[in-house]
Amino acid sequence: MPQKEPADMTSHGDDALSSRTGAPGGDDRLSEDRSLLQQRLAVRELLDTEVSYLHVLQLCASDIRSRLQQLPQGDLDVLFSNIDDIIKVNSRLLHDLQETASREEEQVQLIGNTFLEFQEELEQVYKVYCASYEQALLLVETYRKEPELQREIQGIIEAVLPQAGPSGLSFLLVIPLQRITKYPLLLQKILENTLPDASAYAVLQRATSALQDVVTNINEYKRRKEVASKYTKVEPLSLRERLARINTHTLSKKTTRLSQLLKQEAGLVPRTEDKEFDDLEEKFHWVSLCVTELKSNVAAYLDNLEAFLRFRPQDYNLEIPGGPVVQYCYLARDLQLQAFPEFKQQLEAQVWQPLCSLAKALAGPQNLIKKRLDKLLDFERVEEKLLEVGSMTYEEEAARHTYQALNSLLVAELPQFNQLAMRWLSQILCAFVTLQRDLAKQVLQRAEDSLAQLPHHHLSEPAFRKLVEDALGQTSHQLHAFQENFEKVLPPPTTQPLLPGAERQVQALLSRYGPGKLYQVTSNISGAGTLDLTLPRGHIVALLQNKDTKGNSSRWLVDTGGHRGYVPAGKLEVYHVVPTEEELRGQARPHKDSQHQTPEPTSAPVPSVPTVTQVVAVYPFVARSSHEVSLQAGQRVTVLEAHDKKGNPEWSLVEVNGQRGYVPSSFLARAPSPAPWGWSLPS
Amino acid sequence: MSWIPFKIGQPKKQIVPKTVERDFEREYGKLQQPILLPCRLEEQTKRLQKDMRKSTDADLAMSKSAVKISLDLLSNPLCEQDQDFLNMVTALDTAMKRMDAFNQEKVNQIQKTVIEPLKKFGSVFPSLNMAVKRREQALQDYRRLQAKVEKYEEKEKTGPVLAKLHQAREELRPVRDDFEAKNKQLLDEMPRFYNSRLDYFQPSFESLIRAQVVYYSEMHKIFGDLTQQLDQPGCPDEQRERENEARLSELRALSIVADD
Repeated sequence: MPQKEPADMTSHGDDALSSRTGAPGGDDRLSEDRSLLQQRLAVRELLDTEVSYLHVLQLCASDIRSRLQQLPQGDLDVLFSNIDDIIKVNSRLLHDLQETASREEEQVQLIGNTFLEFQEELEQVYKVYCASYEQALLLVETYRKEPELQREIQGIIEAVLPQAGPSGLSFLLVIPLQRITKYPLLLQKILENTLPDASAYAVLQRATSALQDVVTNINEYKRRKEVASKYTKVEPLSLRERLARINTHTLSKKTTRLSQLLKQEAGLVPRTEDKEFDDLEEKFHWVSLCVTELKSNVAAYLDNLEAFLRFRPQDYNLEIPGGPVVQYCYLARDLQLQAFPEFKQQLEAQVWQPLCSLAKALAGPQNLIKKRLDKLLDFERVEEKLLEVGSMTYEEEAARHTYQALNSLLVAELPQFNQLAMRWLSQILCAFVTLQRDLAKQVLQRAEDSLAQLPHHHLSEPAFRKLVEDALGQTSHQLHAFQENFEKVLPPPTTQPLLPGAERQVQALLSRYGPGKLYQVTSNISGAGTLDLTLPRGHIVALLQNKDTKGNSSRWLVDTGGHRGYVPAGKLEVYHVVPTEEELRGQARPHKDSQHQTPEPTSAPVPSVPTVTQVVAVYPFVARSSHEVSLQAGQRVTVLEAHDKKGNPEWSLVEVNGQRGYVPSSFLARAPSPAPWGWSLPS
Repeated sequence: MSWIPFKIGQPKKQIVPKTVERDFEREYGKLQQPILLPCRLEEQTKRLQKDMRKSTDADLAMSKSAVKISLDLLSNPLCEQDQDFLNMVTALDTAMKRMDAFNQEKVNQIQKTVIEPLKKFGSVFPSLNMAVKRREQALQDYRRLQAKVEKYEEKEKTGPVLAKLHQAREELRPVRDDFEAKNKQLLDEMPRFYNSRLDYFQPSFESLIRAQVVYYSEMHKIFGDLTQQLDQPGCPDEQRERENEARLSELRALSIVADD
């Protein structure tokens, strides 16, 4: 530690004293007196220097610091570090030391006790200051490079403390360092002049070595911090930078380490077993694993949450104006706009972010552990060499020290890290759980509000489920009925004209096979195989078999009246034979219906005019004669006869508004069925 | 003969009155075509069904990833060393697994009472569309034969012409009847089908709301119990934030942790 002593008055006094005395005989008592005097002077020195030290500190902290306004606050914090804490501790130290002056007999002992009391605090407070001293010096250097700034700073300091001299700021900043290292020396001086058998001696001795320990510890702490800051940085290096870093030195280091590691693995060289460290490292490894796994699992959870929130049911429009559908849309919109986004946000702030910070903090220790292993391998090799050669180079010595520094640093701090990390993890998990509960509460509140407005909210859950099941069963049937009805709307009867001369052929087929078996070709068929027919569009054939010998139902066996063969079923349409005049005359309705009937066994007849008496007029109709009656759209009418006097179903005899008359049947429709199961809309 | 009741006062080519056609379009449009209305029931039902399906899949995935959180924690060797940690993680795991079971049940209920019915409703549309197409075909045939009849009617009434006219009329009759039957049927059925959605969907959505209530009540209870067990009273967000900051500073105070 650099030492720049302010002028020491007592040393002159010492010389003067020794030059005056020196007479032999009465030496013992004289030396005793001299010792006592020395002791007293040493005590005085301790106290006086403490007073002036504290005074300088206070000037720095208040006057000088407050005037250095051109410097940013961050800089001031680095420069002056925890000088306020130092002042507090030293003020109390001084106060206690000054109190001992009143008890002259035991003063030395009390001084020793005081220092023992303050040992811990002094170490704590000075170690912080010393650790940041290097950085402070760097700042001072940068200021020196700016002449204008330097002049200003110098001016301020000179105004307050002229004895600072030309080195100004650095002179002031080093003072606490000097002081803390001076204590052991000052105490030593008092100790030297104390009789060994005095009761004070033991105490003072302990105090001296205690203060020595303080200095050693501060040095060690500083060293660790330096080592840590060198190796914890995880610099993202570009490839070029990495290549530039490789030189023969690092290469040889790496290869040496590798060979050392191999030797260890092969059992050629005993591994330095450090159970304590290994246990710590293992636990740290598990903690890291825990953190990284949790982080990625939470990320997956958040992704899924996002996917879930992409669905917005309120965006769909089934054109249902009220009831549970609308209730649900309100509920979903509410949840989507408020409850869930809030949950997601809180999750990100209280679970995800902390996990990320925690994960980042893992990098430092991970690096240090790696470096420690590297240095350990170096160290082992050095030990080997020491055994062989008996000496080691300066570099090798440095490797050993670095390893030891890293090792002691990790052993000291890894347990703390593990413990803090675990504590934080537990808190994060608790936050996760709490957020789930809060989300549930939010959703439940809103959902229960919606539930209260539903028609069946009074039902128990099992009863409700049964009800829904029944309801869905019924509506399922209804839908099926709709589907069937729509499917009954069949393709139009074929109207393709007959080919010339085909009438006779048709008659022949008709008489032979009956009307139900006739089909017309809808598009040209070109047969491929020997048994396949080639027929033009419009040709009439009779069906013999609706599948071939292999059971293929898309290939039908037909008779053309001359040939037999296979044709694709898809190109055939049922052929309706146009009735002759005689058949038309005297037509009764059943006959007519049969014309609508297709020969297909699976089809059902086209539904005829509704026979229910209550119908609704779908379209307006204006009566043009006295036989007809007018209609308005949506009007309810009573059907009296679903056909006219000639049996024509296109007209219906209805009664509306007390009037009777004919209206087109197609203008009427069945009334809609009443709403079942109480799910009707509010009117 | 009054086989075309609307002929008087209408242009000759128009065999189906404008009002009828317009009304047909309207009814069909509600169900299908994009021409008239912005909302298309078929498309809405299809999309709703598909998206509901996707939503339940995401819901299941979310629950599974929650279970994974506790599962991985439980398998970490730290549990063997630290009893408190083990207790916490075990309790968390139990809670997550129970919630997953309830979630599965909720999804099953939604599948049964919402998605399936949506699918069934949607499956009617292909038949409907086919029916409309066939009506259109019938209409085309009707028009064609009608034109043919009118052509013969305008000609000089000679013997062969009369015979042809008669023949044409005979051909026309079944086709016209067929068209009118189809037309009427659809005009009858389409509004009924459209209106059926009202009764059809209400039970589904009521069930959907109920399913949420059942699930979230369980969730509230389970996680409420768990927070009490973990002895962590709920604290406001700012306090949590401060706690997290404090934890981070503690770590950063260590030399072995890099500052950044």
